[in-house]
Amino acid sequence: MPDRFEERELVERAKLDPDAFGTLYDRYFPQIYRFAYSRVRDQSLAEDVTSEVFFKALKNIKRYTYSGHPFSSWLYQITLNAVADHYRGAAGKEVELEEGASLPSTAPNVVDEVVRRDRSRRVWSAIDQLPKQQRAAMVLKFGEDRKIEEIAQILGKSSGAVKLLLHRGVERLRRELPPELELGTP
Amino acid sequence: MDDKELDELFTDPAHQEVVDLLKASRPVTPPLDPNFRLHLRTQLMAEARRTLTPRASRSWFPFTLTPRVLAPAMAAVAAGFIVVLGVEIYLSNQPTRSLVAVDVTPFHNKTNVATAEPIEITFTGPVDKAAVEETVQIEPATSVTKQWSGNTLVIVPDHPLAPNTTYTVKLKPKAAAPSANPANPASTPKPAVAPTPVVVHFTTVRAPIPPVVPPSFRSSGVTYGFDSRLGDSSKVKILNAVWTPAGQLLVTRPGGAAGPATSATPSATATASGPSASTDVWLMSTSGTAIRLVAPGGNFPAAAPTGGLFSVWRQAPGNQANLEVRDFQGNLVATVATVDGVPDRPAVWIGSDRLAYADKGLLRIVGLHAPLEAPALKVDHGSLAASPNGQLLAVQSTAGSVVLDLSPAPTQRLLDGATGFAWSAKGDLAFTIQRANRTDLYVFSAGKTSRIASSPNGQTWSDLNWAPDAASLLFAARPAGGDSTGSVLMLVNRDGSNPIMFGPQREYSAPQWSPGGDLVLFTRRDEAGGNAFWTATSAPSANDAAEKQALAEVDKFMQARIHGDHNTAQDELSDAGRAAYQTGASSLFSTAGTQFDRYYPVTVQLTGTNPNTFLVGVRIFVARSGVETSFFEEQLTLVLQDQRYLIDGVKASDTRALGHGPTVVSVQILQTPPGQQVRVRFDADLKASSITSDTIQVRDGSGQRLVDQVSFDPDNHLATLNVVLRPGTYQLVVTSGVTDINGTALAQEYSAPLVISR
Repeated sequence: MPDRFEERELVERAKLDPDAFGTLYDRYFPQIYRFAYSRVRDQSLAEDVTSEVFFKALKNIKRYTYSGHPFSSWLYQITLNAVADHYRGAAGKEVELEEGASLPSTAPNVVDEVVRRDRSRRVWSAIDQLPKQQRAAMVLKFGEDRKIEEIAQILGKSSGAVKLLLHRGVERLRRELPPELELGTP
Repeated sequence: MDDKELDELFTDPAHQEVVDLLKASRPVTPPLDPNFRLHLRTQLMAEARRTLTPRASRSWFPFTLTPRVLAPAMAAVAAGFIVVLGVEIYLSNQPTRSLVAVDVTPFHNKTNVATAEPIEITFTGPVDKAAVEETVQIEPATSVTKQWSGNTLVIVPDHPLAPNTTYTVKLKPKAAAPSANPANPASTPKPAVAPTPVVVHFTTVRAPIPPVVPPSFRSSGVTYGFDSRLGDSSKVKILNAVWTPAGQLLVTRPGGAAGPATSATPSATATASGPSASTDVWLMSTSGTAIRLVAPGGNFPAAAPTGGLFSVWRQAPGNQANLEVRDFQGNLVATVATVDGVPDRPAVWIGSDRLAYADKGLLRIVGLHAPLEAPALKVDHGSLAASPNGQLLAVQSTAGSVVLDLSPAPTQRLLDGATGFAWSAKGDLAFTIQRANRTDLYVFSAGKTSRIASSPNGQTWSDLNWAPDAASLLFAARPAGGDSTGSVLMLVNRDGSNPIMFGPQREYSAPQWSPGGDLVLFTRRDEAGGNAFWTATSAPSANDAAEKQALAEVDKFMQARIHGDHNTAQDELSDAGRAAYQTGASSLFSTAGTQFDRYYPVTVQLTGTNPNTFLVGVRIFVARSGVETSFFEEQLTLVLQDQRYLIDGVKASDTRALGHGPTVVSVQILQTPPGQQVRVRFDADLKASSITSDTIQVRDGSGQRLVDQVSFDPDNHLATLNVVLRPGTYQLVVTSGVTDINGTALAQEYSAPLVISR
């Protein structure tokens, strides 16, 4: 897997070489910004979080030790922590449902939104309503194409736990999305 | 997007539809200010130029290789001949330039490594396995079994590793001898030996801190945490599973299930023998790692409450089955009985020296070395359960249910229909009676039977299991008619009060608390309609909230010290605590050239009540150039001030060098009326003969040695002292007479305060 070998070498260089760090930034900015936005749904906040992630990465890169996972896993971890820091004490901003709560699939605003948007946007909106952990796992798997093992590392859980999160997430989408959203009804 | 993981995970067509929809779409592209990306990059680069000072680079390739070996190896890497992730060392079979690399990535510099996890070191090519095995060294001293799975060396610790401990594994790889060149014997390459050893460091998980205020498992206080499937894969089929006293699992799997392969060289691990096996019994960690095969061809294991033994049924020729007793290494201790046919349930341990089972429907009791006389009771498939003290045996016979007193005392008859027996740690017997349309739940205690709860009409209760502290019962509740898909777990207090549902799903059954109460093992319907084994974490009540609160403050304090956060560290100190550090009782921060690398609590003791005060012993590891070289301990006194625990005093030990013999990793005091147990856990496998009342002592305030009894559990590196101490402060002393299995002694005497509070 030469790409990982190359990435690892690049990260090692970035511990000493600003230009190498710049290359890492160029490589990972899009996905980190996208992931941050998926969590906060606000452009300004997503910019703040992304900025914080890369400054923290710069500050701590000398401590980074390759653990067999892509460098991006570490950045995703920092992102999750940064998002949590932003919402600490600001209850209610990050959409959060407790495990077992029902999706507000029949609430007029959600239904209106669902009807208005295209199929892709509708299903991703529904993902936004999942509990925090399920949402993170679903976004990383279906939005960022991460391997289950990487997601487990990012979320600090076992692979089995991530599989369970994905399973529950898909099951809830299946149960609670309006029928017309499922395949065959564009 | 072609993703095999998703294909394997989602086999239900309804789920696949949703997955296909997700795969075919992407989240909406987020709005982005085009200037933001460039602006942030400019800021970052300015900061990077300020902070990333070029220094002599430290290579990720940490091994020194001689030029003779290094040159072709690195040339090959550069040429892209071979790329292996991780820390690697290359051996060269010159002049053919075939290379063997060692990949230690899965373990090197890892933290939070599970204590039961086998250590895997993969070679990319053939090596001289016997030669490699001979060079393996582990520090702290650890007895291991070496096995091979292809070119992967699997080092399986014979006992769980110690928590909170940094281990160093060294080995010196030697490439396998290449094939001879018959045309030109002189050109036959010679196997190469690595010039320097491969060194792997890893640190095991932090041990849970035992509560000094015992937790309560009353139903109002226990919460269901996260669950995960045992084995982490639908491919790991588990037929049955039971806890061992050490918190591992004995599981039965289909015969031939994958695990670390047995070495071609002699190994302590049991190898398949006897009749062709349809099932095997494995020792497994709670994370689903198969640790070792302990009973090939076995089924229905049952762990003895103490003594490190388990029973298992194994097929025997002539359609018979042997009841065997084995140790957790898989060694056969005794074959205690032979029955016709195939048993359908485990034998029942009565204490740690007798077993009960049914043969041709009749109750039999057997000692480890001889059969014992049992009352002629016909039990067929009725329930059997022995009390924890080994004196009582509850039996559901065809003539009625009874509690047999195995001492000369008379047998006591239970209510008709009593079944599903479960004994608590305190000697209460719970059982159920199935009525016409409901189930009644009873507790038999001190000779009296009380009905404590009844199911709603149309529901049946079964699978009773006591919480470790005997304060509550877990059981499965299902609609009458045996529909297991509607089964839920319920938790009810010992007196029948506050029945609550435990866990969110509606298809759970057969709950079993782990010995420590931190996990519940249960079965759950799997995708194929069978039963899969799962574990769920449980959190006991907030009785120990004060301890948790105090430990949270200690953690904040220690993290601040590790990261050089002066303000936060100061904020955790009372005036007295601040004065103690200022007057040199200990160093708040590391000295120049060193760094506080990590810490963990070694002891937590309740020293006062109302409000609670605690004495927390912390071990602080000191690193030089990123490598832990020494540690010292602090005894922190925590007091409650303004609703918050603060560090009010400190006493520091001398600094001790790491890697010089075994060390104590934890000290725990348990109240075991009328006395106490002091449990001292070590990091290394010890020479059992070195654990005596001379080498591990309890001394009073005047230094006088107190009489104690010391026992040793080699599986858990655990010395247990039984003492009877009045309230006061004592000293635990571990002398340098304690030695590991290699004969290396404790580098320095270890001492720690023991506080017995009222």
